[in-house]
Amino acid sequence: MRLITTYFLVFLITVIQAFSNKSHTNNWAVLVDTSRFWFNYRHVANVLSIYRSVKRLGIPDSQIILMIADDMACNPRNPRPATVFNNADQHINVYGDDVEVDYRGYEVTVENFVRLLTGRLPPGTPRSKQLLSDEGSNVLIYLTGHGGDGFLKFQDSEEITSQEMADALEQMWQKQRYNEIFFMIDTCQAASMYERFYSPNILAVGSSLVGEDSLSHHVDSSIGVYIIDRYTYYALEFLEKVNPQSDRSLSEFLKVCPKSVCISTVGVRKDLYNRDPSRVPITDFFGSVRPIDILHDITNVTLVQRKRAKSKKPKAKPKKYMYVDPLVNFNSLNV
Amino acid sequence: MIYSLTFLIILANYGSVFCYEGSIDEELLIKPLQSNQVYAHFQFSTKWDIDPEKETFRHSSLFPRPIGELIQRFDIQELHVTLTGGLWRYEKWGYPVVDAATGAEVLAWFKPGSDVDTNWKLLANSLSGLFCASLNFIDDLNTIKPEFSFRPRGVVDSKFINSSHVRYANLPHEIVCTENLTPWKKLLPCDSKTGLASLLNSGHIHNTRYHSVGLHLRPVCRDKSCESLSLELQQTVSLVYDYLILGTKNWSLRKLFGQGVNRKCVLVNKSDIYVDTTLTDVELEPAPDKTVTSIRGGQTTVLQKYEVTNTFLNIYAKYQNADVVPLNLPPPLHANQYLSGYGQERGGIVTKIYNNHWKELDVVLLQNIPWFIPIYLHTLKVVSNGKELKPLQLRYIPARQRIRPNYLEVLLRLPARTSTSVVIDFDYVFLKWQEYPPDANFGFHIGSAVISCYLPVAKNYTAVPWDMTLISDSFNASRNGYLVEIRTENLIITLPTPDFSMPYNVICLACTVVALAFGPLHNITTRKLILKSNKKVQLVEKIKKLLNSLSKTKEE
Repeated sequence: MRLITTYFLVFLITVIQAFSNKSHTNNWAVLVDTSRFWFNYRHVANVLSIYRSVKRLGIPDSQIILMIADDMACNPRNPRPATVFNNADQHINVYGDDVEVDYRGYEVTVENFVRLLTGRLPPGTPRSKQLLSDEGSNVLIYLTGHGGDGFLKFQDSEEITSQEMADALEQMWQKQRYNEIFFMIDTCQAASMYERFYSPNILAVGSSLVGEDSLSHHVDSSIGVYIIDRYTYYALEFLEKVNPQSDRSLSEFLKVCPKSVCISTVGVRKDLYNRDPSRVPITDFFGSVRPIDILHDITNVTLVQRKRAKSKKPKAKPKKYMYVDPLVNFNSLNV
Repeated sequence: MIYSLTFLIILANYGSVFCYEGSIDEELLIKPLQSNQVYAHFQFSTKWDIDPEKETFRHSSLFPRPIGELIQRFDIQELHVTLTGGLWRYEKWGYPVVDAATGAEVLAWFKPGSDVDTNWKLLANSLSGLFCASLNFIDDLNTIKPEFSFRPRGVVDSKFINSSHVRYANLPHEIVCTENLTPWKKLLPCDSKTGLASLLNSGHIHNTRYHSVGLHLRPVCRDKSCESLSLELQQTVSLVYDYLILGTKNWSLRKLFGQGVNRKCVLVNKSDIYVDTTLTDVELEPAPDKTVTSIRGGQTTVLQKYEVTNTFLNIYAKYQNADVVPLNLPPPLHANQYLSGYGQERGGIVTKIYNNHWKELDVVLLQNIPWFIPIYLHTLKVVSNGKELKPLQLRYIPARQRIRPNYLEVLLRLPARTSTSVVIDFDYVFLKWQEYPPDANFGFHIGSAVISCYLPVAKNYTAVPWDMTLISDSFNASRNGYLVEIRTENLIITLPTPDFSMPYNVICLACTVVALAFGPLHNITTRKLILKSNKKVQLVEKIKKLLNSLSKTKEE
């Protein structure tokens, strides 16, 4: 009897495990840069670094929502137009040749960000500006900008508080808009942004603890400003070595920037997350790996010939089309 | 994706069921300009022989499906979208193939009987998603319905034009970068892998003096009888490279675009490159396939034609006399726009139109001025070489705050060889504090004016004739007139911008004042003031009192 119960339990656990693995069906990424102005070049480089990585690891552009508050690539101050680099030595052009920015410039506001997360967008919003995730979606949320204790500034004119952020995620959970969230934030006092989260299945990482500044990596003298932030620089360095098939785990990623290189302390919040990060492959959030079966048997598909309704109407007199004069004739006006 | 591919393959096999009637042609015109620049204009023209009124747009092969969906959903008759960085300098460069204002510009004609206002807003939203641009900022606040400036470019079934079906908006603030070009390239059948589109590499597009990406959709005649329609989609890219940025006058395809043409796109019908050698004495390598001489509207143009084949092509142009600079002959009509006045109270917008032609010219001036710039019609003054000029016609709809912009259209007959200035005065106003953008100190844009004219001569003119499609159609195509739609400079005005830290300062100050005033007042009003006796109490009495109180407690 006991043996049977044990077997049953083991069976139950495997079923639950299989079920919980299956619940992840698709991937979305929301990548936000909240800073305007040229001296915040590094924040755009940050967000584009993550964009480059998720795109390279397989999340299609249609499932990446990229918000950039200012134009750095084609900024007149940029000596290398249409590029944003991660390094003064110009290692990687993170802007790339086929970038698609969904929200840009003045569109990056707290309202639009919260509406995007919660799905409460005005009618007529194009698909590329919607987060169409469901209960099977693993969502990567990456924020960068200027933060403080309990808030993140948007465009130097407004801010989102940690409570608002937590409430937006709770609304997402209640609306079944995610399966798991990986929340990354690279700002000063980043840890304060995730302290108030109370919704399940969220793993959060911030570049600095409360009371700490998050620091930039180095200056590029040709653009005259800092080029990237430390935390994201090392995150990109790590992600560049990951490919869609690799089994690097999330716990490795959480350790990409030790205090010796980051100077700030990277904060992690795991209590809302019920899986062990060392067992979660990084591609669960940064990639879009889906099981694909290739069918070898051939199926014949025949097209259905649609019968066209024959119009019994007598053929209408053919319309005569014409070009009009390119400009109004002034002599014909009643002057 | 795989499914849709197999589906497509299956469909392709059933050619009889699903066949495409139409064609796609790509052309590149390279024209050295009279100043130190070279102009490159790409044009991808897709023609689809369908009746736009009956088509459901469920299937399309060469024609981009997203555009088909827009036509079907929003009842579009005609659509023109341009995204431009930099300014086309008419005075030095002559006329471009396609005129475009700095920033974003959208012009649409809707089919009669449709809900134009709703469709216009939804269209702007869809286009913003399609081109990664902030076109969703197009709304009632910046949309006008010009009566004279724009007429349908495609064919129509009636000569009566109803300007209530047209909508025009410009967003002068819009920036243009790779993210706009990427989705634009995806509309082409060969993407940017082969053909002329492979020359469009973002790094070599945004380092130019002027770059403009455009999409123009219109119905055209299918044949000469013009009893049935075709849809025509023109995708254009205009670039002006500066020799100073290139570092040399001797340009080549690789120098301009980063690479040569690898091979022809298999889906394309015609893939040609034309190099204009009228003004310059250049040696081209390899030798052109053909030399075309075009006489059009009194102007002779010599063009060298290259046909793109499946072999690699890189055209190299070497100047024989690099020091010889051709004389700059300004075009018949050009214009500028600037602000006048000083201070933070009153100002004026001046549009200066130059008529260099020997005869008088009829022009239409269109201005779309934002609502936060209240203009005064009584101050409108048109002065031509010192003499006041009376407008032939005037259309004016004044702005209403936060509802609609100022719309002004002036029809003028410019005397020969004159410069005419159109001046209108405005006031600077304060906005509500939440209406200021995050970078309010940058200033506020006023979009460019549009000056339309049907020129009698084709001097410095490159555009394709009205009733034609391809650049090659414009050779030897003399007409009664040549339409130009000149765009002027954008203006930036600095509205009085408050100091946004002021509320904080006010709160701090107010709190200090309240604290200082409230404390003593509260003290005075709530405390009871009692006089204290000055008499000294002797020690014996104190002991007595103490004993008394002790005895009392004991009794209790």
